[in-house]
Amino acid sequence: MLVVSNVTKKYGKLVANDNVTFTAEGGEVSLLLGPNGAGKTTLIKCISGLLRFTGSIEICGYGNKTLQAKRYFGYIPEVPALYDMLTVWEHLEFIARAYSLENWEGRADQLLERFELDDKKKKLGRELSKGMQQKLSICCGILSEPKVILFDEPMVGLDPHAIKELKNLIVEQKQAGNAVLISTHMLDSVADFWDSTNIMMDGKIVDRRKRREMEAAGENLEDVFFRITKREND
Amino acid sequence: MKALSYLIFTQIKNRILSLKKKPALLIFYIIIFLFVIGSMVTLLFFGKAQESKPNADDRVLFLFICGFGLLYLYTFIVSGLSTGSSLFSMADVGLLFVAPISNKKILFYGLISTIGKTIFASIFIIYQVPNLKKSFDYSTIEVLGLFFIYIVMIVFCQIFSIGIYLFSNGNQARKNLVKTLLYGFFGVLAFSVYMIIQDRQVDILEAAKILVDSKWFGYAPVAGWSIMFFKGLLEGTVMQIAISLILFIGFSVLIISLLTAHDADYYEDVLYSTEKTFQMQKDYKEGRNLSGTVNRKIKIKDNENGIGKGKGASVFAYKHMLEMKRVSRFVFIDSATVFFAAGAAIAGHYIKEDVYGYIVLSVLVYLQFFTTVLGRLKIELIKPFIYLVPESSFKKLIAASFTSLIKPCIDGFIIFGAFALTGGASLPQCFLMALAYSSTGAVFVGLTIVYQRVLGGQPSKILQALISMILFIAIFTPSIAATVLVSIFILPDSLKFLTLLPFVIVNYICAFIIFYSCRNLLDNTEYSEGMSLPVR
Repeated sequence: MLVVSNVTKKYGKLVANDNVTFTAEGGEVSLLLGPNGAGKTTLIKCISGLLRFTGSIEICGYGNKTLQAKRYFGYIPEVPALYDMLTVWEHLEFIARAYSLENWEGRADQLLERFELDDKKKKLGRELSKGMQQKLSICCGILSEPKVILFDEPMVGLDPHAIKELKNLIVEQKQAGNAVLISTHMLDSVADFWDSTNIMMDGKIVDRRKRREMEAAGENLEDVFFRITKREND
Repeated sequence: MKALSYLIFTQIKNRILSLKKKPALLIFYIIIFLFVIGSMVTLLFFGKAQESKPNADDRVLFLFICGFGLLYLYTFIVSGLSTGSSLFSMADVGLLFVAPISNKKILFYGLISTIGKTIFASIFIIYQVPNLKKSFDYSTIEVLGLFFIYIVMIVFCQIFSIGIYLFSNGNQARKNLVKTLLYGFFGVLAFSVYMIIQDRQVDILEAAKILVDSKWFGYAPVAGWSIMFFKGLLEGTVMQIAISLILFIGFSVLIISLLTAHDADYYEDVLYSTEKTFQMQKDYKEGRNLSGTVNRKIKIKDNENGIGKGKGASVFAYKHMLEMKRVSRFVFIDSATVFFAAGAAIAGHYIKEDVYGYIVLSVLVYLQFFTTVLGRLKIELIKPFIYLVPESSFKKLIAASFTSLIKPCIDGFIIFGAFALTGGASLPQCFLMALAYSSTGAVFVGLTIVYQRVLGGQPSKILQALISMILFIAIFTPSIAATVLVSIFILPDSLKFLTLLPFVIVNYICAFIIFYSCRNLLDNTEYSEGMSLPVR
């Protein structure tokens, strides 16, 4: 569903992503792991079509900047970017209208209820706390029922209830056959449901593992992560 | 005190060292430094060679001092009534306030660093040395005195703002009292000008000059005290200088004493304002709250909760109209429209020559630049949605620019309608001025787009400012050239009112070319949270 091939992103002399190649399959939760500054957020932004890059990225068989691809993916940024003067409900209405969605109201209500925002429908974006903004940002990213969902540090700022709901939601997306890509450095938060992992260091993917391979070898995510990142640092 | 002096000197050192990585900024600072040195040399060695200017009117400078003084007084009092001012940064709050260092020493550190920043920010006065010398024949001491009193004025206003906050925080009656005194003070000044006009049969400018030059005005807070100091310096009256400084220092000491009373537990009093200041700076850096948002609480009723119209790209335009409605119930007509229209009406009443009409238009276009390039299209470009929505880039660009294109048209006809009503210019001329205002609005929207196309992702702030200035000149050169050529070589005197027509036509052509040539902007540009503004 998501095919990233030889993606390189440079900022002047700084190489943020260096010839990155990986895939994320439908029905899988793929992780982008790495220490701060590894290039995870840059890669997610390249996949979302927000940054220029060299190489190619395909979403459901379409180039990531095509209109078809945009219909298929949802992006939840690390820092929620909401409109100050739109209410919670209007943000969802805006997404529904922009993506020309039909019969979206029931789904929007469900999402707001799941993330305990149903009593905040009339609150303006600027009146929401950071956690509430993050919850609304998740609802906006999911409303269009994307096939490929890109999460950038989705758990940051969420309360325990919202973290639980988000984990449930990710598992549901996986069960529905959608591809979920999560960039994070909070290993504990994704330990229960990941299927494949891509460990990044200095803009490169230095290791790729499948969960079943790792479990067969008697390893766990945290040990592998620290061993690889330490080795690379040395 | 060791930690605090270490903090001050290390920050200065690191700031200087960081210039090694920013050569353009270093060159900029060197130019400023050389200019300041040049000004000082001019002042010291060639100061006495100038002929005195018998027609130089010191009162003009008093008016400037008064203007700055009143502006700062009003701004800082209003800030004091809401959040107070702050001498500290968020890093100070997080690291210093919790450190085992005396609160009074930390306050002293805050004052010292604020004075340092103010001196740095006020260096522009030194630029004015040649002008001050040329116009008023001031000596070194007098120019330095002006520089000194300007810094005193700003630092005092910051302390005063904290004092107002301490006095009025959480007490509506005291807030009302401060407001009454503030507006009463401005009312007395306005009434005094009116009385002078009536009494001496002079115009408003002369009346203002007489007022600021009067002896009692020297006792008016901030503006008057500053003028008293400067007059004392000019006239060599030590008493005036002393009284002025006593007033500034006395009130400062009083406020600081209040602040440091009760074991100097002032942290809570400055915390809120520090957080607010930090948030404002952060918002500015990230390009948030650029325009159209208001600080007041907005209550949304059930029947008002919804965009209601739009599908695909067009939803951006409807969303903008909803956001504008939340700011002003008349959507496109907001307080800026009313303010500009009132200004144009007043100008129209006093101005009867064509050339002044064009000056009014120029001033309004200058102000329009800031309201447009910091407008809703700019806000859209710093959010990810416009890049993600599955619609063509051109459609999204047009939809997101829609309100920014329409508003100048409506503003233009209201503003120049008011100008025509009060007799500023003939109706056809005002009609063309309104069209010209609309067309510059379209060009400024285009400038926002070109800026993003050319500079999206460009990290150098200096380069950004330089290129955007070149873009600005390049975009307006054809329309201004066309206007000048057509009005000089083609238009007969009977059709002179059509002078602005080429300006309008060329502007709209330029805007169209920009829109068309940048139609794929959103596919090719880079999204960046907190982009810089086109021209700072």
